Amino acid sequence: MSEVGASRASWNTYRDVEVSFKVNGKEVRVRVKPYERLLDVLRNKLGLLSVKEGCGRGECGSCVVIMNGKLIPTCLTLAVRAEGSEILTLEGIAPEGKLHAIQKALLDTYSMQCGFCFPGVIMASKYLLDKNPDPTEDEIRDALDGNICRCGSYLRFIKAVKLASKYIKEGKVFFDESEVLR
Amino acid sequence: MSTIPEYYKIVEEVFEKYKDKEFLFVGRHTQRWDSIEKIKGRALFTADFARLYSNLVYVHSVRTKYAHARIKSIDVSEASKYPGVLRVITAEDIPGINDVGYVIPDQPLIADRKVRYIGDIVALVVAENPLVAREAGELISVEYEPLPVITNPLDVVDLMTLKEKPHTLVHDERGSDILVHYKIRRGDIEKAMREADVKVEGVYKTPFQEHAYMEPEASIAIPEPDGSVTVIASTQCPFDVRKAVAKVLGLTLNKVRIVVPAVGGGFGGKEDVANEVAAKAALAAVLTGRPALAVHTREESIIGHSKRHPMIAWYRHAAKKDGTLVAVEANVVMDGGAYASLGPFVPWRATVHATGPYKVQSARVDVVRVYTNNVYTGAFRGFGNPQVIFAVERQMDLLAEELGMDPVELRLKNILRVGDETVHGQKLTEEHGVGLEEAVMKAVEASNWFELRRRYSEITGPVRKGIGIALFYHGNSIGVEGADYSSVTLIINRDGSVSIRTGLTEFGQGSTWGLALIAAEILGVPPSYFKIENPDTSATPDAGPTVASRATVMGGAATVVAAYKLRKRLNEVASHILGCDPDDVVIRAPDVYCSSDPSRRTRWADVVEQSFWLGVPLQEFGYYRAPRALWDEETGQGAPYITYTFGAIVADVDVDIETGLVKVNKIFTAYDIGKVINRMGAELNAEGGAIQALGYALMEEIIHDKEGRVSNPNLSTYYVPTIKDVPEIIPLWVEAKYRKGPLGAKGFGEPSFNAVAAAIANAVAHAIRANVTELPITPERVYMLLKNKQKT
Repeated sequence: MSEVGASRASWNTYRDVEVSFKVNGKEVRVRVKPYERLLDVLRNKLGLLSVKEGCGRGECGSCVVIMNGKLIPTCLTLAVRAEGSEILTLEGIAPEGKLHAIQKALLDTYSMQCGFCFPGVIMASKYLLDKNPDPTEDEIRDALDGNICRCGSYLRFIKAVKLASKYIKEGKVFFDESEVLR
Repeated sequence: MSTIPEYYKIVEEVFEKYKDKEFLFVGRHTQRWDSIEKIKGRALFTADFARLYSNLVYVHSVRTKYAHARIKSIDVSEASKYPGVLRVITAEDIPGINDVGYVIPDQPLIADRKVRYIGDIVALVVAENPLVAREAGELISVEYEPLPVITNPLDVVDLMTLKEKPHTLVHDERGSDILVHYKIRRGDIEKAMREADVKVEGVYKTPFQEHAYMEPEASIAIPEPDGSVTVIASTQCPFDVRKAVAKVLGLTLNKVRIVVPAVGGGFGGKEDVANEVAAKAALAAVLTGRPALAVHTREESIIGHSKRHPMIAWYRHAAKKDGTLVAVEANVVMDGGAYASLGPFVPWRATVHATGPYKVQSARVDVVRVYTNNVYTGAFRGFGNPQVIFAVERQMDLLAEELGMDPVELRLKNILRVGDETVHGQKLTEEHGVGLEEAVMKAVEASNWFELRRRYSEITGPVRKGIGIALFYHGNSIGVEGADYSSVTLIINRDGSVSIRTGLTEFGQGSTWGLALIAAEILGVPPSYFKIENPDTSATPDAGPTVASRATVMGGAATVVAAYKLRKRLNEVASHILGCDPDDVVIRAPDVYCSSDPSRRTRWADVVEQSFWLGVPLQEFGYYRAPRALWDEETGQGAPYITYTFGAIVADVDVDIETGLVKVNKIFTAYDIGKVINRMGAELNAEGGAIQALGYALMEEIIHDKEGRVSNPNLSTYYVPTIKDVPEIIPLWVEAKYRKGPLGAKGFGEPSFNAVAAAIANAVAHAIRANVTELPITPERVYMLLKNKQKT
């Protein structure tokens, strides 16, 4: 018999905690286990499935969201830490039927491969452009260094962030989805 | 079977008809059908479906503590009683056959008698909560009798004699740990070696490479009321998964349904492990009567799925003074790890390509694949070819140096052109499309090769520069590995939109979108009308596996067949409406008109509607089977592949000789992939393949300790390239069309990886003037190369 398993309190024994926060502009209140990751709560309890689990160790960037203006890996954040916070996920980046300039730019640069890393890449790009509306290539590389794209669309990401920066400066933050598919 | 199948005629007829035409959609940049859902984060990957099932159970795999041991007993009683645990599953609970071996039945789903590598599973725990499942797993006690662990393939076989050495067998039931031994015998090798003017030889090593697709393996199995089971699976090959699940559950194939949603990368890795994961979920679902999720953590993914085969190879090349290659000898040992996986096939592809894209008058090649207690190895983009390319292209550079020739000149003297025979005696004709020379010229010109090669040779100081070239060829599709067929169903819906159904899968590479572009071109309907349906073994036709760079070539050919037949019928209906000859009908949806008199026109929607009322079927099934490949087991002579993709890569690097760090500045990739079908997909593959190969060249290596444990089982210790590592990549295209391919296309998924690492290695060797023989070229290895150079 394993000593580790025997001596530790079981996951079964923890009681629920109530957490309130704002996600994509909406107030939410959820009951979570104290050990639950924000990643699982966003995905399973709130249905925000754009938040992807790629490694569970903060090493790949697939699950990053913007929380209180900071880019955070939700796999390394306990859900209880979200209390009182404001969270933005990919679902909240553009109104229904619209694309954010970053999304439009990623399509314009034909960067789509498997798409699994895209939510993280888009959130990291948004975080960058919010702070630095006109980033250099080096600054873009620094900002996206935590997002692994194994299909290798990296060069397109650089072009896309530059293009998105241009769109935003021109006041074009949102685009109709129908403008893209012709 | 002497008559030529209709589908060959159709594919060739369509090739002839379109070969000089300007295309509307093929070869152009287009947005894929799934662009919006993916960019919005709405596309569902397998694990995302978990939320749909309120009574879901979780499957946890309990893995072995030893890489090689006999299992004496297993006690699951404590775990079974643990609160929240529904079921503990061991080998004896399997209703069907306990095997998930991909090609041969050598891999139990749950270990019974012994464990052979650190990822082997000894039991599955099914619980209401994934953490509880893992916790209960710790209560399972297994009594092992540890056996000696073999991590070095050269403990199994001698590199020079290729004879098996006495050792504790990994597969004692087989009586030998040599899985396969392939050969090429051409010409009189002894005589050629004797008469050659120069010879170079070397031993080359390549590492285990991890796919590291961003979506870890996942499956959700749903028990159905009729005793069948549906599995949502992250796989490249739904029909292979169906077979594996049916076998483990003891069900007939029609009682297992596999559905493939969005897949987050594959690169060859989601072939066999998908079978294992789907079988685990299906087993849990059937035994508990509840939907079951099996999902791997990143660490489980890294220790528990196939890797790129490591290679140790001895090569000897011989040439005349003028650079003519006269003989190649090679002994290649590939580490297969614990199970066969695709191991019967990978070394075969390595064998076929073992002398590179050159005319070789005499050759002796022996390739063996051995079992060890390492993580098993299987399919990975390139499939055995990148390993031998590294060895061959290093040898070519050594030969050039020995002869005092420029590496490009030496290669141009020996490359395969139309009319030449491959080392297998396969004569290459116009029909194959042989664009290697053009690719070399393009890469050389774009990179300013001759000037930089000379200039970089004179650089001194702490940062050296190098430029290197590597060439390759790559047999398309699966050759003699199996029945090489594909199929597609095209459906024009009542509103004029088009659905494509095929068992070929999209996992990022974009090849199924190529099928839409082919159909769009032939039907005259824009790509935006198309949707590719998710592969579903109960709805989409079996199109063979999505592997071997075959989706565009093989699936494309099947699409040509279906689209051609549909178009023929539509033209007749339009002719009926418009009153012009069927051959005179132009379809350019939403418009349809007569070529001779464009004022006579109707709408695409009307042609579709008319077809419906006239009883003209708007669905068509397209099937294509590749011409048979030929291979003589004793001599390696024949015609192993239907055609070849060619390429030339030039890499430009800096090497800091104080830190040993290699920085790649530019990669020029010149590819002959025949007609480019999906422009966006081709460009993304060229870039993505180069980046993945840059990782292979410089940083990626799975390391096993002497107990067979993986020392770097996560993404902070197994390094893959990030956006900071990526150089400028300049894609160049040559379109030497394959006349039997769809509109002249050849395959490109794997070739985009093939020769990039070899080109980087040659560039590094040029920069530091030392002989690079091992990948990855880490700072430590650069340091050792420089240190050893100083000594000599």
